[in-house]
Order: sequence, then C-alpha cells, then structure tokens
Amino acid sequence: SNGAGDLGAPAAVMEHACRYCGVSNPACVVRCNVASCRKWFCNSRGNTSGSHIVNHLVRAKHKEVCLHKDSPLGETILECYNCGCRNVFLLGFISAKTESVVVLLCREPCLSVNALKDMNWDLSQWCPLIDDRCFLQWLVKVPSEQEQLRARQISAQQINKIEELWKTNPDASLEDLEKPGVDDEPQPVALKHEDAYQYQNVFAPLIKLEADYDKMMKESQSKDNVTIRWDIGLNKKRIAYFIFPKEDNELRLVPGDELRLRYSGDAAHPAWHSVGHVIKLTAQEEVALELRASQGVPIDLNHGFSVDFVWKSTSFDRMQGAMKTFAVDETSVSGYIYHHLLGHEVELQMVRNALPRRFGAPGLPELNASQVFAVKSVLQKPISLIQGPPGTGKTVTSAAIVYHMAKQGQGQVLVCAPSNVAVDQLAEKISATGLKVVRLCAKSREAVSSPVEHLTLHYQVRHLDTSEKSELHKLQQLKDEQGELSSSDEKKYKALKRATEREIAQSADVICCTCVGAGDPRLANFRFRQVLIDESTQATEPECLIPLVLGAKQIVLVGDHCQLGPVIMCKKAARAGLAQSLFERLVLLGEKPIRLQVQYRMHPSLSEFPSNSFYEGTLQNGVTVNERQTTGIDFPWPVPNRPMFFYVQMGQEEISASGTSYLNRTEAANVEKIVTTFLKSGVVPGQIGVITPYEGQRAYIVNYMSRNGALRQQLYKEIEVASVDSFQGREKDYIILSCVRSNEHQGIGFLNDPRRLNVALTRARYGIVILGNPKVLSKQPLWNGLLTHYKEHECLVEGPLNNLKQSMVQFQKPKKIYN
Amino acid sequence: DVGSASDDDDEVRVRQKAPDVDPLEEASFDQELRAVVQESMEQRRLELRGRPTLNMMIPMNVFEGSMKDHHGRGVGGESGDEALDEDAAGSKDVQVKVLVKRGNKQQTKQMYIPRDCSLIQSTKQKGAAELEE
Ligand SMILES: [Zn+2]
Ligand SMILES: [Zn+2]
Ligand SMILES: [Zn+2]
Repeated sequence: SNGAGDLGAPAAVMEHACRYCGVSNPACVVRCNVASCRKWFCNSRGNTSGSHIVNHLVRAKHKEVCLHKDSPLGETILECYNCGCRNVFLLGFISAKTESVVVLLCREPCLSVNALKDMNWDLSQWCPLIDDRCFLQWLVKVPSEQEQLRARQISAQQINKIEELWKTNPDASLEDLEKPGVDDEPQPVALKHEDAYQYQNVFAPLIKLEADYDKMMKESQSKDNVTIRWDIGLNKKRIAYFIFPKEDNELRLVPGDELRLRYSGDAAHPAWHSVGHVIKLTAQEEVALELRASQGVPIDLNHGFSVDFVWKSTSFDRMQGAMKTFAVDETSVSGYIYHHLLGHEVELQMVRNALPRRFGAPGLPELNASQVFAVKSVLQKPISLIQGPPGTGKTVTSAAIVYHMAKQGQGQVLVCAPSNVAVDQLAEKISATGLKVVRLCAKSREAVSSPVEHLTLHYQVRHLDTSEKSELHKLQQLKDEQGELSSSDEKKYKALKRATEREIAQSADVICCTCVGAGDPRLANFRFRQVLIDESTQATEPECLIPLVLGAKQIVLVGDHCQLGPVIMCKKAARAGLAQSLFERLVLLGEKPIRLQVQYRMHPSLSEFPSNSFYEGTLQNGVTVNERQTTGIDFPWPVPNRPMFFYVQMGQEEISASGTSYLNRTEAANVEKIVTTFLKSGVVPGQIGVITPYEGQRAYIVNYMSRNGALRQQLYKEIEVASVDSFQGREKDYIILSCVRSNEHQGIGFLNDPRRLNVALTRARYGIVILGNPKVLSKQPLWNGLLTHYKEHECLVEGPLNNLKQSMVQFQKPKKIYN
Repeated sequence: DVGSASDDDDEVRVRQKAPDVDPLEEASFDQELRAVVQESMEQRRLELRGRPTLNMMIPMNVFEGSMKDHHGRGVGGESGDEALDEDAAGSKDVQVKVLVKRGNKQQTKQMYIPRDCSLIQSTKQKGAAELEE
C-alpha cells in the first residue's frame, strides 16, 4: 500500500493537558502561574503520594496557580482576598459567620489579624488550599478513575527527571526523557503497555527508522539515460512511458508512486522537469507516468531523460498521527478497546445488539458453518479476530459481517485493508449485498484504473448527475478541456468538489479505503464506531491504528498470522518488533482467533500438508478431488490422482549480478520445461504462476523463458513470475515453485520462514511442482517434513520430465524442532 | 458518565493494580512539602513587618442574595448549569459564594462545597445557634 495525498490534521494535544499525565478535563487542571513556566497540571495523584500539581509546585518551587477558564470559578488566580498574596502554600478558605460566603485568606499574616474576627469572618475554621498533598478536591476536581486509568502512568522518578530537565529546557516533553541515542538499539515492542504514551514511545522511533530507510532507499533510485515514449491520456494529460529497470533490491514501483522526470537541456532545449504519478505498470515492466503539468513538455525528444523517485512521508506521518490521537484523544477509541489494545486486563464485554435471524447476506454465497459461527461471534464482541487460512472465504465472511453491522444502524462502517487490491475486492463483495459503498482512493491513485471504479468517490463525484451539480460539471469539463482553470474558477471548483465529496461519502453505508487512506483529510470529520480490517496480519501495528482511532467501539481484525506479515525494510525496526502485526500481538495476549475451517481453493492432496503443518489439521476441504480433476490436461504427474511433485534439483546456486540476490540456472531451465509441458497440454498462460523467493531468480527466469522457450515468446511473457510475497492473497491453477538455494554449507535464507512456505504451498488450485535440493532443504525441520510427505506419497522424483523416477536421495537430519 | 470515549455505554472494567505508592517516596515528598510551607511562612514574616491593612469588606450585594449585581460567573450566572443545581439539591453538596478580587473589583462566584467540610459546618452551626437565640 502506498498512500499519498495531503497529511491529515494531527491530533492536537490540549494546551491545558496535565504535563505529567495528559488529563485535560478543565475541572481537574490548574496552570502554574510562574511566568517562565505556565504549565498545566492535574489534581490526580496517579502513582505518587502527592497530586500532580502539588508535585510540580514542590519540585519546581513554584507557588502561584491559576484556575482554568472552564472550571466552576472561571479563570482565576488564587490569592489572598485581603493582601493579594499568591503563595498557594499559605492560602486557605475562611467563611463568613452568617452567610454562605467564603474567601481565600493567607496564613501569614492575614489569618492572625484579630480585627477580622470583628468583621463577621470566622477564622477558627481556616481550611488550607493544599490538604493531604492535594488541592482541595471541591475546588480542583480529581479526575475520575477511568480518566486516570487512561492517562499516562507517570512515576515519581519520571517526575523528578522531567522537572530536572525543565530547569534547562522548559519545553522538554516526557518523550525526550526516553529518546534513545542515535546509535542505540530501539526499545523492543512489548506485549503489554502501561499507557498509550508508552506505546507511542516504543512505536514512534520504529516508524521513524522505517521512514528514514524507505526515504534513503527510494531517493537513491535515480536513473539516467531513460528513453521516453510520449502519449496523451483520455483526460488530456501527458503520459510518459519508459522502462524503469528494477534492480535486485526491494524497491518495487506501484501505481500511485510519484516520480520526477528531468531533462538537463541542450542547445535546442532548455532544462526541464516535471513530477507525475505512476498510473500503470505494463506486463513488459514499462511504467506509465501521468505528468502533472502539460506545459513545456519536450515531446520532440525521446532520449537522455532522468527519473527520480519523489519520496512522500504521508503514510508514516499518518501512523505517527494515529498514535498521538490514540494517546491524547479520549474519544479516539472506546475505553474497552483502549485498555484491550494495550494488554490491560479488562472484564469481557458483550455488544448488546439484536442478532439477525440469518447470518448470510443477499448477493453472497451461502455461508458454511464456521463462517456463520464467525459472523455470529463477531457481532456480539467489541473486539474479534478472524483467522482465514488460504481459500477459506475471508472476503465473503467479512462482507457478511459488514452487511449485518451496517444494518444495525450504528452509523457508517469503515472497512480497510493494507493493500489496494484487498480493499477493491472487499468493496466489490460488500457492494454485492446491496449496501451503498464508497471506495475512497488516494488522490494520487485517481488515475489508476480499478475494478470497482464505479464505487470510487472520485468517479461518483464526476457522475453525480443532478442539475444542482451542473456548476461542478461545467467547471470539470472546462478543466478537462483546458487542463487548467483560472484561479477563481479553480477555487470555486475545489469548494464545489469538496462539498460534493462530503455529501456522497456521508450518504454511504460503508466506506472502504486502505489503512493509510483512513487518515485522509477528507475523512477527518467522520466517526466510525464499527471498523473491519482485512489482511490485518499484513499491516504494521501503527498502520492498523489509523482506521481505529476514528471512534472505534467495535473492531474486527481479519487475517492469518500463519501467513506472511507486514514487509519491513529496515532490519533494526523489524527486529525490534515492527514486523509483528496487532493481530499477532493480540493472539499472544491470549485473544483466541475464530478460524474459518473450510478451504475452497486447493485440490485435497495439496491442502493436506499445509493443514497438518500450519493449522493443526483443522482445514477441511470444501472442494472434492473430482472438482479439481484436470481432464484433458496431459501432464506427467507421478501419481495420477495427486497433482503434485517435488522435482529434485542438484544444480548450484549463484549470487546474482547485483550481489544481493540468488539465482539457480538448472532450476530456471527446468521451470521452462515444465511451463512448456503445461502449455502444450492445453493449459493457458493465465493459469500458471511461477514463484520463487529470490528477485535474482525471478528476473533470470523471465529472461530465460523469453529467450529459450520452446513455444511462441508471447506465451511466456503472459506467465506471471513473482516472489512468494507478492503472491500472498492470490491464487493460480498451477504453481511452479523454484527454491533456488543449493549449497552444502550455508543456510536456506528466505525459505526458513515457515509462513513463507505456507504461502508458497497454498497458491495452487489444481497442481503444484516444487523444484529444489532436498539435501539442503531437509536440514530445516519443516522442509524435512514436507520432503518426507512427498516421498511417502511417491511424489519425490528426479530425471527428465518425460521419464520421472522416484528419487532415492538421502535427507539430512533436521537441525532443531521448529517451535 | 466519566467523560471517556462514550456518548453512551462505554463502561469498562479494568482490573486495578493496587495503588503502589512507595512509602519512602511518600515520606520524602511530605518532608519537602513541609519545607516549602515553612520556608514560605518565614519569607512572609521577613517581608512584612508591621500589620497588614484591612481590606476585607464584604460587598453588600452579596448579602442581598440577588442575582443582578454579580460580575462574571455569578450566582446562576452565565455558567447557567442547571443540571448542576439539580444535582446539588438534596445531595451532599452545599452552594456557597466565593468572593474574589479582580484588580480592585470584587466578584462573586458560585461554588459547591461538600456538606461535611469544616467551612460549612461552622456556618451551619452558627446559623442554627443564631436561630435558637
Ligand atoms: Zn511551574
Ligand atoms: Zn496529571
Ligand atoms: Zn493575606
């Protein structure tokens, strides 16, 4: 996912929030009135013996305070009614003898003036302002228990430290106390957190690390000598097509990314540059870049351009903003969710809503028993986890849940996922139930084609065909024709567009967007009590928080922690725990996910090993062998009813040209042979997927097939060759997995992650071929298990493809038990 | 209703940790607090020799008990919180007027004090005693 657009307004910390704990109830706070200080503190003791305000006054030796303007007495500096003394340590209340009138009077000297007694004042009951190390509670309220529980849990030691720091740096915050040095390892993510401030203290530096890494990597991707092919889009905007060669590194362009195109100038052309958005990536790895400005583009030139990546901090800023909101805004999520997410022990709560009689939804396939159970449980709980193993109908189940939530009349439901692809799929399914769905896209992706275009907000704005909107339409047409509007027209256009967007979004039952998209300023004033996040195990925790802090009271996290987690580029941040999803942490905290149990994707032979190894054998088959029979396909499966085999490869691995990845020529050559055999037997290219964990091998296979393929080149070009990671969430009829690693002494790298193996093994519907070196792979316990499984079923083979023989290769002893 | 996330039923039961105030911390804080009070007293004694002038007249309008003459958030003034009044009626709280000075101007503000506060006790007793006489 790659959000872009403007940054949403970050949650403002109330100016009058207690500088120790963050409580901001005006009735509970007072301001230190010392000119150099003016900080606010509350009257709660928290974990200390004195209240926060008294603690501050004593530690800082400050002695004057002012009440909040919204407190019962209004903005008032506390002072002696007689002499004006403002030292709160000397002040106390006295009352008049006969009337219910009270004033503040100082102990020294006014209380000892006898003449006052004669003036109707009762001096015998002087009531000190500070009593039991706390301000009088009826003057400055003590925050409620819940307010205190939700505040920052500050210790006496921290108070001492921050007071020390304030002496030299009055603006320092508590976060400054905990900031790690530049070279320090970041603080690791713990299972539980004291409060949302501590949570933020742990995650904020990790997001910063990841953002810095991302920026550094993307900005180093400049390419020179790029050749451009010019075109014009339907919206009259200039489009540049070019090849942006992919190195072996992790950078992958996605639609919506921003690039800068430059020409350094020559005798006939001035220097030129323009920024644009990637709107498409063709199968030939050509990038289509829609330029922002169409004036002065050197379209008579094709060679010698340079391309830079324009890094955007938007998604990271939104994560940071969400964490801040989570800490300072009490309305961001319900108390139950707040404490639950932080790992506090909370008494279980049920949602009091009438349950529907049927749990399915119109327009969706009938639900199976485990799906019905999931929908029913989710509707009754404020927090639920749904685990959807491969092919178990996560999307349908999610859509049914959203349907019933929307029908409860609790306001609009927010539906998110980390990737645009997943959001589109969900939007489509939910829309099929008859609910009104708005799919909100990042501004930078509006030109990117989408399978649910008719649901997108920008499309609906353009096609809202009512007469009141004709003004907007006129301006839109003018803009489309001319490319630009006069500044006054542009202003009018923007205002009209904003109003229309708002109107359409407000009338929807469901809003769908990416997690980062939930931080879009266009949703800034929306509140969502019910939030569902699909693929939540692929989002980082702060990313997941973005949709949650818009007022969530009931949340559903859908995902599968037995498949791959979020992609973190910065190893330091990943090590510290940024790669662990919120879903996973909640599981570790003891929250039991509801598991969908019937898979509708894989031939039963293919699901057996994943079910036993990753899902305790609970995965049932919703498809029969017959439904996955491949009649008419003549492929040499060693066991006719088992469309699978492990093809023993002994070729060496090599380090790829970039020096950062691996390839294996023998495996690549055999991949081509297998692909060719499939194609000859009547399988079409779109049914085949080749997956490999290494970018080096991916590039090599693409190249090899197009040069050495026995059939028409075009056929091979249409075959998708991709990494395991990019195949997550998708399926193909036939999968060919090239393992690459083949060395006696080193490890197996990427293949070591059981979640990656799970993903790789569960993409195929009809058949799978695995190419690898059993001698190397068998050292790892899980691979050893897989190899044994294939061997026992007589599917471990070697030799030429047209004469496969059972392999007698010896396995190694696995090193240690995988836990 | 504790002003947390809810418009309605957001009640949450968090299993409480026992408030773990360190007795050493408490003792040392108490000592520091007393030192500040002591120091403040001494400072005042040094600063002010001689008697303070008296400036403690209660404005007449306070006794009239009317609403018309008050500045700021007077009795039933712009804070206008009727719910507060209702709550206070029959509850443990008693309404009092607080006199404050803003510059030279006197202002009366309204506040609620628990009935069992020593301040209230004294006016109540006095009031009762006067009635008896
Ligand atoms: Zn201060
Ligand atoms: Zn506080
Ligand atoms: Zn005084």
